[in-house]
Amino acid sequence: MHAEKQQHAFEPKIVAFVCTWCTYAGADLAGTSRLQYPANIRVVKFPCTGRIDPVFILRAFQKGADGVLVSGCHPGDCHYMAGNFHARRRFAAFRQLLDFIGVDLNRLQFSWVSAAEGGKWVDVATELTERVRELGPLREFAALEAEEHWSGALATPELQEAYNSI
Amino acid sequence: MTTTAHTIDPALYAAATAALRQEARTVLENGTAAAVIGWQAGRRAGSALPAIVTDPAGAEQLIFAPGCVNNLALYLTKAKKEVRGKGRLAIVVKGCDLRALAGLIGENQLNRADIYIIGIACPGVYGAHADRRLPLAEETVAPKCRECTVHTPTGVDVTVGTLPDLPAFTPREAAELARLEAMTPAERWRFWKEHFSRCIRCYACRQVCPFCYCEQCLCDRNRPQAVETTPRPAGNMAWHIVRAMHLAGRCAGCAECERVCPMDIPLNLLNRKMAKELKALYGFEAGLEPQEKGPLTSYREDDDQSFIK
Ligand code: SF4
Ligand code: SF4
Ligand code: SF4
Repeated sequence: MHAEKQQHAFEPKIVAFVCTWCTYAGADLAGTSRLQYPANIRVVKFPCTGRIDPVFILRAFQKGADGVLVSGCHPGDCHYMAGNFHARRRFAAFRQLLDFIGVDLNRLQFSWVSAAEGGKWVDVATELTERVRELGPLREFAALEAEEHWSGALATPELQEAYNSI
Repeated sequence: MTTTAHTIDPALYAAATAALRQEARTVLENGTAAAVIGWQAGRRAGSALPAIVTDPAGAEQLIFAPGCVNNLALYLTKAKKEVRGKGRLAIVVKGCDLRALAGLIGENQLNRADIYIIGIACPGVYGAHADRRLPLAEETVAPKCRECTVHTPTGVDVTVGTLPDLPAFTPREAAELARLEAMTPAERWRFWKEHFSRCIRCYACRQVCPFCYCEQCLCDRNRPQAVETTPRPAGNMAWHIVRAMHLAGRCAGCAECERVCPMDIPLNLLNRKMAKELKALYGFEAGLEPQEKGPLTSYREDDDQSFIK
């Protein structure tokens, strides 16, 4: 039975942090237009991309996300005037930091999707899902968590095997 | 390899000390400042500790020596309210410390008019593991001083000391940064994972940083908990990412965090990397002049967005 479970194709878990005014409405439009996009995406709605603290992205990775999408209004369209401009700088810096620590940036996507762009939402979501599917599960953060709980004993083959089969 | 040519003459520090005492006495006597924040000799040879002098006679305790490593700007943050209550303050700063002071002024933590800045022409200070019985030389100098660009502080009220012809120390941090940048992401992850896993979460790095003045740190909050507080791998990784992110564009590069770290984690490499990236992205350099807006508290409509789809 276990063997069977392991043969399941990998389905990436992707968390999307979106602003309520543009991208959330865009995703909603995709839904009401009956457009299909991968069910791997879990959407979390925020008042503005400016409210999305980089720590949320980190938290998502730590808690098992294989990929993260952050999306908001196009520049100039922000409901709060400048929230997305500030977010743009913050995320540019955060990407450099993650890259320097050694996180594969292919797992993190930023996009601008307006309330009218249901189609673009579908594209971005599909593309990221496909890319992360190729990359496979994000092991690094999970391994840190596992060491946290198992006192670093993952070095033993038995535990490593048990861990891999989760 | 070391010859005397690579050593910095201790007499220079003695001269700076004399000038510093004279200046401190004058500002206390004529009421320019109610207190002078400087350094005094520590109990062990070659060590120094922060001192706050309020009466002119006390100016005799002040010193400047290679052991004066502390960044005193820390004592002017909101977290140190007991110092701020003393009235107008004079503070002794090295060039690198001045960048922190300028940063604090830029962040409205301090008013330039409320402080009197005594700059020190600084040839360098000891590294964290230096044998302090030796003079300052290739083996004993702090990594930050090897690549120092701010030996003479600018924009201060007065400068004491004179700068000698400095020996050319071999740079290390820049080379180490380049080595890391050339690694693959997986190698970098291993590098940092190993370093961070040693962190004991003593938070000395946070306590010593002039820019970590939040009354409640995000990393201490537990409802909801953003960062695990136990000194174990996942929480440590998160702590270091949050620390680097919160200091990006603010860090003055004084390297105090790295100096006080009991686990020898190369924190200043992270600081330097972020400073370098923010300079490349937005042409911003921290703390040379007090600036109202940092790179992450401002924006331009035409900022690079090539990474956004
Ligand atoms: S970095 Fe420069 S100013 Fe700072 S202690 Fe070293 S030599 Fe002095
Ligand atoms: S992060 Fe470190 S180097 Fe930067 S200002 Fe704080 S103590 Fe100094
Ligand atoms: S000083 Fe070093 S050991 Fe202590 S919390 Fe900071 S990085 Fe960790």
